[in-house]
Amino acid sequence: MPAYGPEPETTPGRRQGALAVTCLLLALTTSYLPGPAQHRIAWSMRVTVLRPFIATQARLVAAWDNRVQVAVLRQQLDSLAASLSTQAALRDENRTLRNLLDLAERVEPSFKATSVLRGGTPGSESMFIVQLGSRDGITMGAPVVSRHGLVGRILEVREEISLGMDWTHPDFRASAMLENGTMYGIVENRRGTFREEDRLVLNGTAYYESAPRGTLVVTSGLAGVLPRGIPIGRIGGVEDVEGRWRKAYRLEPMVEPGSVTHVIVLTDRADLDLAQIWGADSLATREQAISEGRMP
Amino acid sequence: MRTDARVWLLVGVLFVLHLMLHVGLGLGREAPDLLTVALLLSAREVGMGRAGALGLFFGLLEDALSVLSFGANSVAMTLIGALGAITRDLFVGDSLLFLVSYFVLGKWVRDLVHWIMVGDSLRQPFLDQVMVQGLIGGAYAAGVGIVLMALTGLWRDVPG
Repeated sequence: MPAYGPEPETTPGRRQGALAVTCLLLALTTSYLPGPAQHRIAWSMRVTVLRPFIATQARLVAAWDNRVQVAVLRQQLDSLAASLSTQAALRDENRTLRNLLDLAERVEPSFKATSVLRGGTPGSESMFIVQLGSRDGITMGAPVVSRHGLVGRILEVREEISLGMDWTHPDFRASAMLENGTMYGIVENRRGTFREEDRLVLNGTAYYESAPRGTLVVTSGLAGVLPRGIPIGRIGGVEDVEGRWRKAYRLEPMVEPGSVTHVIVLTDRADLDLAQIWGADSLATREQAISEGRMP
Repeated sequence: MRTDARVWLLVGVLFVLHLMLHVGLGLGREAPDLLTVALLLSAREVGMGRAGALGLFFGLLEDALSVLSFGANSVAMTLIGALGAITRDLFVGDSLLFLVSYFVLGKWVRDLVHWIMVGDSLRQPFLDQVMVQGLIGGAYAAGVGIVLMALTGLWRDVPG
């Protein structure tokens, strides 16, 4: 009589176990693949299985805009038309003078407008898709702005669509300065205990310089990633002080990324100063605009 | 219709519904995690390997929209698929208590593994992401999953 032992494992059971281990190893491998390989896998999913769902969101956003924002868009169009009609002669004169001074190569900033699409899957928070790609002149790192200021930047570019991250992403950094150029620092997203406590911070500023509350903070253009002059936020108070050598300021952001539906992607970033593009009515934080009744 | 055919039909519906809510409509936590419910349901029908493979596919789909934490969803879903299939050998029956525990724990473990895999720089606070959102999400997914199972006649065990 054979000795008592554990019940022998069946072949299908072993095969299933081996398949599970293989899948787990494959899943672990995907985490450590080089960036381009990960992007290829993600891309293949986006253009196959996810394509109809991404297209659905694009259609829904367009339909929503058509339905709800017609009056707002008409007002903005009217303002724009009025503004353009007064500036047309000025622009013409400017162009002629530029040509005369041989400044044709210093082109004006060029932008592409688009809708923002967001995925609701885990890990895709702070990320968005724009329906512009390399064929539209979009490049990696291109700044994404709204009429109030900086929304984020482009991370991955394909021919037709691109993936970007907004300023709520933990990896977001922007070289910034006060509007008058008196103080420089790095703007970053600082995590709270809960997601709602996330805040934008101007970090790395000199201890003996102080920024008055309400001062506008714009991109500084240093490092060449973002052009100079894009509004990021207004100083909201001191966030923390380290010893007697560094201060960090809390910012009231110009843009609430969650409420952004339309953005403009900058296609030409070479040494631009965009400070003049944002008018006085745009340089209010969303909270200010709401309290003044200029935004629903 | 045979039970296994109904299960797979429900899994298909949950798959499409999840992608429609989270990708098509761009909803975040407002919509339940139906993909995890679909995976947990299908894991009870197939072996550990196939459930792992299905989890890997589901995870890759979710990772497609999260470039900076690519692979975190894949590992979490593969593990949940395989673990879900193992429960078939450990627990028999479909009592309300079991199903609620199965869905809540499944979703919570999925969020825990995702939190571990997502990396230091992107990791949300443990309290918020795993303890609060994970458990609320688990209860939400369990509620929706059980209602759908009851509607399709897959859950026949009347409590009490």
